[in-house]
Amino acid sequence: MKIMSAIGLKLFPLRSRHVLPGFRLSLGFTLFYLISLVLIPLLALVIRPMELGPSGFWAAISTPRVLASLRLSFGMALAAAVIDSFFGVIIAWVLVRYRFPGKGFLDAVIDLPFSLPTAVAGIALSTLYAPNGWIGSVLAEYGIRVAYTPYGVLVAMVFISLPFTVRTVQPVMAELGLEVEEAAATLGATRLQTLARVVLPMLWPAVLTGMAMAFARAAGEYGSIIFIAGNIPAVSEIAPLLIITKLEQYDYAGAAAIGVVMLAASFVMLLALNGLQSWAAKRR
Amino acid sequence: MSLTVDSVAKKFGRFPALNGASFVAPQGGFVSLLGPSGSGKTTLLRILGGLEFADSGSVRFVDLNWLDMPARTRNAGFVFQQYALFKHMTVADNIAFGLKVRPRNRRPSSADIHKRVTELLDLVQLSGLEARYPSQLSGGQRQRVALARALAIEPRMLLLDEPFGALDAKVRKELRTDLRRIHDHAGVTTVFVTHDQEEAFAVADLVAVMKDGRIEQYGAPADVRRNPTTAFVSEFLSA
Amino acid sequence: MKKRFLKPTEDPLWLRLFLGAVAIAFIAILLLLPLALVFKEAFANGIGAFWIAIKEPDTLASVRLSLIAAGIAVPLNMVFGIAAAWCITKYDFPGKTFLVTLIDLPFSVSPVVAGLIYVLVFGAQGWFGRSLADNNIHILFAVPGIVLATIFVTFPFVARELIPLMADQGCDEEEAAATLGATGLQTFLRVTLPNIKWGLLYGVLLCNARALGEFGAVSVVSGHIRGVTNTMPLHVQLLYDNYDYPGAFTVAALLAMLALLTLALKSLLEWRYADELAAAHRH
Repeated sequence: MKIMSAIGLKLFPLRSRHVLPGFRLSLGFTLFYLISLVLIPLLALVIRPMELGPSGFWAAISTPRVLASLRLSFGMALAAAVIDSFFGVIIAWVLVRYRFPGKGFLDAVIDLPFSLPTAVAGIALSTLYAPNGWIGSVLAEYGIRVAYTPYGVLVAMVFISLPFTVRTVQPVMAELGLEVEEAAATLGATRLQTLARVVLPMLWPAVLTGMAMAFARAAGEYGSIIFIAGNIPAVSEIAPLLIITKLEQYDYAGAAAIGVVMLAASFVMLLALNGLQSWAAKRR
Repeated sequence: MSLTVDSVAKKFGRFPALNGASFVAPQGGFVSLLGPSGSGKTTLLRILGGLEFADSGSVRFVDLNWLDMPARTRNAGFVFQQYALFKHMTVADNIAFGLKVRPRNRRPSSADIHKRVTELLDLVQLSGLEARYPSQLSGGQRQRVALARALAIEPRMLLLDEPFGALDAKVRKELRTDLRRIHDHAGVTTVFVTHDQEEAFAVADLVAVMKDGRIEQYGAPADVRRNPTTAFVSEFLSA
Repeated sequence: MKKRFLKPTEDPLWLRLFLGAVAIAFIAILLLLPLALVFKEAFANGIGAFWIAIKEPDTLASVRLSLIAAGIAVPLNMVFGIAAAWCITKYDFPGKTFLVTLIDLPFSVSPVVAGLIYVLVFGAQGWFGRSLADNNIHILFAVPGIVLATIFVTFPFVARELIPLMADQGCDEEEAAATLGATGLQTFLRVTLPNIKWGLLYGVLLCNARALGEFGAVSVVSGHIRGVTNTMPLHVQLLYDNYDYPGAFTVAALLAMLALLTLALKSLLEWRYADELAAAHRH
């Protein structure tokens, strides 16, 4: 670590900014902490499946059970992200533009999935949507089963990811400025035309960013899902749960292989997010 | 057959923004509302555009009871200081917006819309930039697009709120000459808000000097300049 | 009186009612109903039963373990957050943007993967598993593993709160202090810290909430030894899986109260100190 901070110092000899002390100490500690706690363990994840070889790796992730779990995690995460984006835009609009009593409370409650432990959410959702639960019993009358089916996975994912979509869109909406809407009105647009052709398109980059974040969170989610999902192999078993199952069978390499696939997916999402942001910045 | 603003008043909460402003302008005239910030000139303009509502007073334009119409049906082109362009649309789409949102029976064909956009781009001297996005234009170019967009709907009235306020001196001068040329070409009644007296006198047929929500003096630029009727006007003009 | 229309920037009444109803109904059903259920189940047998369930030794042990894990992870991440924000916002160096991306990385990693990586390093078949076992050091299925997993998932909270905040503030004040002869520590304590204290508190609050509530990552490394390596969220699972629903919801209610307290404090900070928090929170 000393070496790295020394390099940092040598490449950037004292400039005016460096009148402040502590560069070496703070960067050194930051890098040490980051490398030892995050990067080295992540390296272990990437290296571990290599002992399987390419064909072994492929064999580990291409079993029907693993593929089904990946399809479930990513497919339902996508569905949840779309649902959350739709309602997230409506909720953000209501919070930013309307005035009504209890708005502050509603605004604060949006962050509940961030602060409520996932296990708590999990047992609550499971009880709520069970065939004899408050919501489950109503749905059962229409022959709909949610708990212990793939839809249970979807419900938990929608719960856990909602704040991402609302909180990404909300500040952009607040900064939109009323003038473009006024301009549209003076040009003869009806309110609905203004919303559909002016307001919504300007929100698209934020909506997509929120959607990507919601998707990433939902795909990796574990705690809130396992209670409601029923965890039937190849039906309602999510990929993170399968990792744990493999670990319990001491199949470290197999678990790591699934982990690598999920990590790669989150990297792709991270890249896509960065791409989105630069695309959005270009249109500003 | 004119624009008659009669005792228009407006309060924001307890703050009186307009205290009975009145003036008459001939149809096709070019009026400048001139005054320091807080004098109510922008509020008056926004009331003319239907973006704010007057508490009392009336406005008649031609034979229309102007304040009883919503912004959407007034057909008054409005140009904002910060352009208010639709950032996600190309220049051509921005200009065509007002035509495309018309109800189907009054909407021009897409060929006609294209033709109109081309004409307007020519008028504001931006030919060839129709595929650009607003972010790819300079401030002066953006305001030209905003002007073309407001003219595209063949407005009954053109309202401009400090349109050149965000631009540098050279571009301001260019644009103000062009604005006058475009006004003379289209013959549309124009109300122009500014705090810059040189600009007001250079571009308008009639200047209304405003203070504290009232019109202090109203007349042709030369008259106002030669014979300030109140201490405020003479002080403001000599500043 | 003049005839009044809607302002061009106002939605018509029917649209306001419709969208308002959709938003409130969605939040009520999706977010508030589960919360209500937790408290209803926890207090189904009265407050006396609630207290008895909490005083159960294994439950108390899980509370203690959660507090220990958060008590170690949060201060460490706070120090890291300050150090990272300091070097990133006060100096220029190559790879700075990359470093910022790396700090955010744990947020985009599944919690289960976060636990998995420590198993791969410290587990019986992991990199250091053999040598740890030879020296009789227990990391996995013991408190250190739980702390490590907690650190990983709560890693970015303080740093990502402070970086935009300190970037906004620049370093003029610190430079002024330095030219007046203040030492580095004095500059930090007397100039920087007062400027960032609310942002720091905000980050610590979120970090703490997640540390106490983390489930997936901790689940992988804990080993689920009742009364020994079960944190509160894991204890919820254990009770629930053993069909002790009142017990499970009692611990869940305790966690939910913590979550609500966090939300209340967070809203208070956002409302009271909006200007002193990072720009991202001003809405």
